[in-house]
Amino acid sequence: MSSIVIENPDVAARAEELRNEQLTNRRVRIDRMFAGLMLLQYAAGIIGALVVSPYAWQGKEKVIHMHVWVAVLGGAGITLLPLLMAIFKPGTTITRHVIAASQMLWSALLIHLTGGRIETHFHVFGSLAFLAFYLDWGVILTATIVVAADHFLRGVFWPESVYGIANAEWWRFLEHAAWVAFEDVFLVWSILLGQREAGQAAERQAAIEHLSEQEQLKTAALEMALAEMQGATA
Amino acid sequence: MSRSRIVTVVLIAAGIVWTSTVVAAFSAIRRFESTPGLSADAHATWPASSRVPRATGASTLVMLIHPQCSCSRASIKELEAIIDQSPRSMRTYVLVYRPADAKAGWENTDVYRAATGLRRAQVIVDVDGSEAKRFGGFTSGQTYLYDGDGRLRFTGGITSLRGHEGLNRGRVDVIRIANAQETSATHPVFGCAITSKTTTRGARP
Repeated sequence: MSSIVIENPDVAARAEELRNEQLTNRRVRIDRMFAGLMLLQYAAGIIGALVVSPYAWQGKEKVIHMHVWVAVLGGAGITLLPLLMAIFKPGTTITRHVIAASQMLWSALLIHLTGGRIETHFHVFGSLAFLAFYLDWGVILTATIVVAADHFLRGVFWPESVYGIANAEWWRFLEHAAWVAFEDVFLVWSILLGQREAGQAAERQAAIEHLSEQEQLKTAALEMALAEMQGATA
Repeated sequence: MSRSRIVTVVLIAAGIVWTSTVVAAFSAIRRFESTPGLSADAHATWPASSRVPRATGASTLVMLIHPQCSCSRASIKELEAIIDQSPRSMRTYVLVYRPADAKAGWENTDVYRAATGLRRAQVIVDVDGSEAKRFGGFTSGQTYLYDGDGRLRFTGGITSLRGHEGLNRGRVDVIRIANAQETSATHPVFGCAITSKTTTRGARP
């Protein structure tokens, strides 16, 4: 796609204004989408815990399983802040970074609730793709840091939970993070492309608005000249 | 107080709740998943009073399971991997706990069905955990491996954490012992309690 060269500073400023307006509108909608997704994940976490592991047993006695409490209370805690941010501060930078971090924490929680099932790790990759809708590569960076920090800290203090064996090498978190980085490269590329396209669309709209204004001024001048001629003839 | 100030206060409070919940929830999970169950009072040799027939001249593996224990799904999965990588001569038993006063079919859960679906393994319903007591086991997932002469070579669990599938030291050790690459090992066991230590002590052979 060819770019438009705008020399008029007023038109350039208007293009920037339009671009920011479009991005903000988009990000408000994505915040709302994530608010809904957070509630959906909360419900899914509770239902999953109730279905997969409702009780812990001691002989024939049963008690509510720890996973159910964690899904109810921990899930509520993780959901609360991004939900309120999406309601009261939609479209702001801090809101989408809080959402990114919370979404990754949901991935970690769901992985635990499903007993570390490898299939649940797909939630990480799906979430990164959803976060790319923001057209802000910083959000992808925040999410990646949370995933890497989670793996690094667990790899150091609780290696069995990540690698299955207690004496895993400390650097193995890099192997896991590398798969996330692999996806990140393509997501960041698509975000930069999306930002450029949004900028070009805004420039086109600003140029059209400018041309339209000029045409309206010409028409007004012509109408004025015509009226003067008609007045002189009369 | 203005609306924006109220919103700011609410968001700061939510931030504090968010941070403390994250720390508390993941700490609770860590404590729950990494706390092993009671280790077996395992005998050095096959318990003479057991009614489970031991293989002579080949290894015999025994696993105790609480069928309602969701964490034991992982133990059954790991057992499947062990059977696949051990000599075909190894005999495997899964002893499924059922309380004496439980209704018929109480033990028929997905864990039980997974155990019955294992190749080269025999499932035995262990009423009131009487066999578990003879083997000195307390925790679901407790695994024993005896050699061809009835000597205990492995005792412990075969998952890395409570309810977690995947590569772990217990599984690796059992496979190595079954293939005569290692002589003996122990590993923590993670799962629900089948019997308590007080009820077991009097029943030992």
